[in-house]
Amino acid sequence: MKYIATVKDREYTIEIDPDRGILIDGEPQEIDFQRLGSGGVTSLLMNHRSVSAVVEERDSYWDVLIQGELYSVRVQDERAHRLERMRSTGLTVGGEAAVSSPMPGIIVAVPVAVGDQVQRGDKVVILESMKMENELRAPCDGVITHVHVAAGVKVEKDQLLVSISQGTAEAS
Amino acid sequence: MEREDGLLVKKFDKLLIANRGEIALRILRAARELGIATVAVFSDADRSAPHVRFADEAYHIGPPAARESYLVIEKLLDIAHRSGAEAIHPGYGFLAERADFAQACVDAGIVFVGPPARAIEVMGDKLMARATVTAAGVPVVPGTSPGQTDEEMTAAAVTMGFPVLVKAAAGGGGKGMRPAHRVEDLGDAFASARREAKAAFGDDTIYIEKMITEARHIEIQLLADSHGNTLYLGERECSLQRRHQKLIEEAPSFVVDADLRRRMGEVAVAAARSVDYVSAGTIEFLVDREKNFYFLEMNTRVQVEHPVTELVTGIDIVQEQLRIARGRRLRLRQEDVRVKGWAIECRINAEDPYNNYMPSTGTITAAHLPSGPGIRVDSGVYVGNEITPYYDSMISKLICYGETRGEAVLRMRRALEEYRIMGVKTNIPFHQHMMDSHRFLSGQFDTNFVEDRFSMEDREAAHALEAAVLATLAAHEQSQRAAQIVAPGARDTSNWKWLSRWERLRK
Repeated sequence: MKYIATVKDREYTIEIDPDRGILIDGEPQEIDFQRLGSGGVTSLLMNHRSVSAVVEERDSYWDVLIQGELYSVRVQDERAHRLERMRSTGLTVGGEAAVSSPMPGIIVAVPVAVGDQVQRGDKVVILESMKMENELRAPCDGVITHVHVAAGVKVEKDQLLVSISQGTAEAS
Repeated sequence: MEREDGLLVKKFDKLLIANRGEIALRILRAARELGIATVAVFSDADRSAPHVRFADEAYHIGPPAARESYLVIEKLLDIAHRSGAEAIHPGYGFLAERADFAQACVDAGIVFVGPPARAIEVMGDKLMARATVTAAGVPVVPGTSPGQTDEEMTAAAVTMGFPVLVKAAAGGGGKGMRPAHRVEDLGDAFASARREAKAAFGDDTIYIEKMITEARHIEIQLLADSHGNTLYLGERECSLQRRHQKLIEEAPSFVVDADLRRRMGEVAVAAARSVDYVSAGTIEFLVDREKNFYFLEMNTRVQVEHPVTELVTGIDIVQEQLRIARGRRLRLRQEDVRVKGWAIECRINAEDPYNNYMPSTGTITAAHLPSGPGIRVDSGVYVGNEITPYYDSMISKLICYGETRGEAVLRMRRALEEYRIMGVKTNIPFHQHMMDSHRFLSGQFDTNFVEDRFSMEDREAAHALEAAVLATLAAHEQSQRAAQIVAPGARDTSNWKWLSRWERLRK
């Protein structure tokens, strides 16, 4: 079985082969993997290097905590990986990006309006939650197509706040 | 004993803790050690929280939102009466610095474990506090009184020296604040500060204050009993902040020597005496490059960062608060207070340091605390704990002690690696990155360091490969199990059989 694991923009090809063992990017590795108890606590011995971790499945990826650092890993078999790659290149052309609320809270301000050109990283919504003001930023360059909320509005987790049409505005 | 300024001290045997989270646990522990019975309160969100389980009694206090539960004075007083609690400890946050709450306790014959109501009131008001401590000879940041003419302010600015800050009298949170680096900048700064102040607060009164550049935030911990004894327990270095939220505190400070410690301590004691202070309290100072120090404000409560002082002085500050509230005299004299070794505290927040420190909500699925020599964890977090937007994002404090600063840093690095919290993102990587930073290690930082000159972008993903392998093996294991459920004849899910399969795979 061949898997593609993606973590922090890096891809590893990990093959689990009944005859040859475990291969990472084609190289065989000595690996011993052990789950400890029913939680996500695991122990990995990789070429005798000991790594203690907590591994938990989320919706579409795996969270792996190693020495304080949390890694979000997407694991796909080869076929799913190839399919997704084809699909994702299709989507970016004229695609819409959404900024949604990462947590429940109250909208403090929406410093953009429909038609505004934004760049990746620009502030688009300020959300108050946990006694703090949080800046939500544009995930890509584009033009604001919809603003679904206004200052003072209470929002739920995952609620759609602002839509952005990807790409640059036509010269005007 | 009851005083006219809203202080009641007397012996009590049952204490209500009007708080939640790690500080509620901290107070519960101190009370238990002193043999005082404890009463906890909890909102709907906190029924399973450890402070409920640690207490002798617990009472429901309302819905999750603090203004309907932990902030409702009548409910707390009612529970105190029903449970027979004779004293209330407010912790920090919530009602800790509300003079009306302290007074309401005293009026109800209940000991408020904290200062007199009047001291809270005076120190809670910026201008009143400034006037009161100035009269006691405490240095404050030079500035003008509000409402002077442009000419008067300009003359004052020239006298105190540039740069200066033009500030809104009604201000806060950086609104209505403008720097001026030269006398020519003042005209524009006055105009725009007034404009912004008018828009934000409906009041365009402004004043100017000397701008302290490269300032450090250093504070002095105090203990005062009701018999007129006030002690300083040395300083805490709290310059590492983001948006005025402290992130890392240490004791002692890199820049404070014995002479400066004594001078700051004596000034802090004078500030506390100016309001007849009783209980634990803290005087915050700004310290400039030339080691001039200026009064910033007084925190009239136990502070989040009190453990670093406890570790270097050996004094249990919360126990002392309880003893003082019971009317006891401090057992120590100033010359008995010694600072030994070094302590560092990292505030563990549910937030994502890689995404602009965005708060992270969710349910805690794993919480393994670090341990071993020199480690203290004050934590209220537990498996199954839902981190909600209702309360503060600080979920735990990790405190390390060492003979030297270097030893404390090494311990902190080790402990941060051991600490495992799953279910929400935490700022542990931020602390790790700070512990690796040259500026931190050499003590070269001021209050702007985190926001202006510290970035997570150069942090390397040291274990990306191992993470990829672990996730893949876990996913593979899961898909194999799923296949076996479809084909029941081949059920093979026990852990050791899995292991033997890996053994076979490795051959």
